[in-house]
Amino acid sequence: MQVTVKAFATLRNIMDSKFTEELEEGSTISDLLTTLMEKYSGLSDEIFEDGRRELKDFVNILVNGRNISFLNGLDTTLNNGDLVVLFPPAGGG
Amino acid sequence: MTQMDGYAGKIAYVDLTKGTIDIQETPTDLKRDYLGGRGFGTKIISDRMDPLVDPLSPENIFVFASGPTTGTGIPLGSRYEVSTKSPLNDTLMSANSGGTFGWKMKKAGFDAIVFEGRSAKPVYLYLNEGAAELRDASSYWGMDVHATTDAFLSDLGDKKAKIACIGPAGEKQSLLACVINDYDRAAGRSGAGAVLGSKNVKAVVATGNLSIEEADKDRLNAVKDRIRTKLQENGICEALTNYGTAVLVNIVNENYILPTHNFQSAHFENAENISGERMAETVLKKNSGCFACIVKCSRICEVDGVVNEGPEYEPMWAFGANLGIDDLNTVIKAAWECNKLGLDAIGTPTAIACAMEMQEKGYINNGPKFGEAAGIVELVRQIGLREGFGAELTDGSYRFAERHGHPELSMSVKKQDLPAYDPRGLQGHGLSYATSNRGGDHVYGYMISPEVLGAPEKLDPYTSDGKAAWVQVFQDLTAAIDASGMCLFSSFALDATDYADLTAATMGIDLDGPGFIRIGERIWNLQKLFNIKVGYTKADDTLPKRLLTEPLREGGPKGRVWEREPLLSEYYSVRGWDADGVPTDEKLRELGLK
Repeated sequence: MQVTVKAFATLRNIMDSKFTEELEEGSTISDLLTTLMEKYSGLSDEIFEDGRRELKDFVNILVNGRNISFLNGLDTTLNNGDLVVLFPPAGGG
Repeated sequence: MTQMDGYAGKIAYVDLTKGTIDIQETPTDLKRDYLGGRGFGTKIISDRMDPLVDPLSPENIFVFASGPTTGTGIPLGSRYEVSTKSPLNDTLMSANSGGTFGWKMKKAGFDAIVFEGRSAKPVYLYLNEGAAELRDASSYWGMDVHATTDAFLSDLGDKKAKIACIGPAGEKQSLLACVINDYDRAAGRSGAGAVLGSKNVKAVVATGNLSIEEADKDRLNAVKDRIRTKLQENGICEALTNYGTAVLVNIVNENYILPTHNFQSAHFENAENISGERMAETVLKKNSGCFACIVKCSRICEVDGVVNEGPEYEPMWAFGANLGIDDLNTVIKAAWECNKLGLDAIGTPTAIACAMEMQEKGYINNGPKFGEAAGIVELVRQIGLREGFGAELTDGSYRFAERHGHPELSMSVKKQDLPAYDPRGLQGHGLSYATSNRGGDHVYGYMISPEVLGAPEKLDPYTSDGKAAWVQVFQDLTAAIDASGMCLFSSFALDATDYADLTAATMGIDLDGPGFIRIGERIWNLQKLFNIKVGYTKADDTLPKRLLTEPLREGGPKGRVWEREPLLSEYYSVRGWDADGVPTDEKLRELGLK
């Protein structure tokens, strides 16, 4: 299956801003991130706490506009055609 | 004598009708119970003024006030507030601004300025090391904000002077007029500039170098070190340094809560073109900050050979997505034009958005059209000068839409337009909008922080559970921060205990986190009491009909509206107010307000 990935702010220093990714059926956000970290060195440092597979404070990942924190976290299952959005810590007012 | 509590020690009471100035010591109980800033403004106006006065009459009172941390060198301690009865919506409003003016007002010897009456001719107030003097401002009347600021600096021969002034919009008493300091720093909302215009006050000019002394320097230095580290290690503050507030354009759009076409949708196809990322790639020259800032979120941009400060996220959205315009240069030039004219850079473009929808629906036939960038900068100029079609919009969207028979197309709360977050996908933030003491507003209780950014923790934006209590804490904490002189952006990294420690060490008082929030609660309730006396009721604590009845059509929040109940009832309950939203006697006694 195929998902679209968009990256914003400082993540664009290490990866493209928008691309598609082929994944096996039933893949999760965690699977997607593993794939992306193999392609883009530095991504792990940007989104995960040191040495742990836990999102840093203020890192937000959306699937079709919904934060994965309120879906199934890193275990959120992806479907063909999904839009996955990655935000590093960012904000304003 | 130099104060040893962070304060300058004096308040200037200016009677513009008589042309006299009475300088008094800043009262100890005022400092202890209200800190400064929004607290000073709210208390002074509540004590001295009938809430029913006409806001554009001589009887209205206008207060400039800094806080105890302002200008002390505490990181992000730079802010001041203006407070008055809003001519836009009659609330007891306060608006906050940074830059260097608040610091300089204290170096000039004053914690606050209280204007009453009306001058017969244009004047400015000159503050210099404990002295205050009203001077003729006739030669500055008619000048825009930038020209006014340049002219004062040149005429006074004092490059260290700091100026807060109104532009032509304030002189014309536009209800969208604001007060601007340091060229481009706005105390932006609720029409405060029109009140100064009605009083014939063009500016306050502050200069001098009096010392600002804190009570417990050793303790304060330790707290400063602690909060500096927290600010430097905070991911959101780091992002503000890198991208400024405009980084929010893409974030909010991807969450499908970026109001577009006057809140007809919440997703803008071309958001990328008006984003902080695009700004950084194209027009950004460098970043900049207020006095003692270590975040430096402000952007210095160059467009068509002109260099100015700004714009921020809000005008980027309001001139961009909400008008359906994706031309970055037009968006930036329109926002800059607001600053030059002294216009609210949210309320001005949202009034244009309202006109665009009225045009689209055929309710008017001479208005601007969604997506058309040409003519927008000129329309802003007309709004500021109360000319042409701009004169239709210069008192805000509500009056315009009502005059043409469609007040429901004004996306406002209590006649003040909503900012850049669609509350249909943000239940807590919607409550903050509905209950804000100055009407439609995002900086009186920024629930975006937990509901979108995840600070201090992630809250599900689509649910109401527990949100009433969160909104109360955010509103009260923000009121206290606004009183202290600290920048609200520090709250991404600091908690109530940090603010209490900063304030206590500066002032030499005992104060803990709950005590700091309690000061904010006192301010909030006092603003609320004023608004009740003006005539506001529970019926006004709501959102525009569209946001209650027209579900969003895309993305995560698809199908959602803002659910007023049970949120509002829960909110009144957690605040200790009765079922109609009136503070109870018990609550007022608890806060020392009765």
